[in-house]
Amino acid sequence: MTMRPSVREAMLGAVPSLRAFAISLCGNVDRADDLVQETLLRAMANITSFQPGTNMSAWLFTILRNLFRSEYRKRRREVEDTDGTYAESLKSHPEQHSRVEFEEFRAALAKLPPDQREALILVGASGFSYEEAAAICDCAVGTIKSRVNRARTRLSELLSIDGADDFGPDHTTRAILSAGGGRS
Amino acid sequence: MHTDSPTRRTAGRLSREDQRRLGDILQRVYDDVVHQGVPDRFRALLNELEEPGKNEQHSAPSRAEAHMAPGGEKPESDQVFEPEGASDPRSKGQH
Repeated sequence: MTMRPSVREAMLGAVPSLRAFAISLCGNVDRADDLVQETLLRAMANITSFQPGTNMSAWLFTILRNLFRSEYRKRRREVEDTDGTYAESLKSHPEQHSRVEFEEFRAALAKLPPDQREALILVGASGFSYEEAAAICDCAVGTIKSRVNRARTRLSELLSIDGADDFGPDHTTRAILSAGGGRS
Repeated sequence: MHTDSPTRRTAGRLSREDQRRLGDILQRVYDDVVHQGVPDRFRALLNELEEPGKNEQHSAPSRAEAHMAPGGEKPESDQVFEPEGASDPRSKGQH
C-alpha cells in the first residue's frame, strides 16, 4: 500500500489529539493507544474512502469514536474501570504542575455519560465546531449542544464549583501543597 | 457527592466564569496529552504499513515500551513490533 506523503503526515499530525481524545474517552492510556492504533489501521485500510481536501482529523476522530463505541458495548464493565494508569502516565510527564487537579478533573470526567463526555471534549478541547462534532457523533447539532451543556453542569456539580475559592488557581495551589508535590 | 455542595443547585445553568474555568482545565488536561507528541509506536506503524519490512531499524520497540509503560509488560506491543514475520499488521483492521 502506498500512501501519499501528505496523507501520511496528516495522519501523524492527528495522532497527538487522537490520543488525547481516546484517553478522555476511555480513561486508560494503554487502551487509548490501542484504540488509536486500531483507528490508524482502519483508516489505512479505507484510505480510498477519504476525500483529499476534507478534514483528515475529523475523519480519524469519527473512526476512533465508532471503534470506541463498539468496544464500549462489548466491555462495558472494563471501560468503567479507570484505574491508576492515567495517573501513572502523568507522573512520567515532566511539566506537570497540577497533577492533583488533573486527577480530580479526570475522575469527574469519567463519571459523565459517554455521550456527554465525547461531546464536551470534541467541542471544548479538540477544537471542533458544533457542526463538526455533530458529524463525528452522527447526531443533530442541537443534540451536541445540549450534551455539552449537560456535561458542563454535571462536571461543575462533581467538582463542586461554587466560586473562585473552590476551584481555580487557589484551589489548585492548595491541593498541590497539601499533596506535597508542588512546584510552581 | 451530590450532597456535599449545597450552595449551588441551580437549574443547570453555569455562569460564564464557571464555564471558563471548566473549559480551561479541560483544555489543559487535553493538551497535556497532546504535548506528548507522537509516540514511536505510531510512527513505526505508519512506516511499516507504508513499506512493509523496510524499516525494522526504526521500530525501536524497547524505547516505545519504556515510554508507554514504566515497569509493566506490554502485551499489545507485539501487535506492532513483530520482530520478524511482521506478517500483516493490517489484518486487525480489515473487516
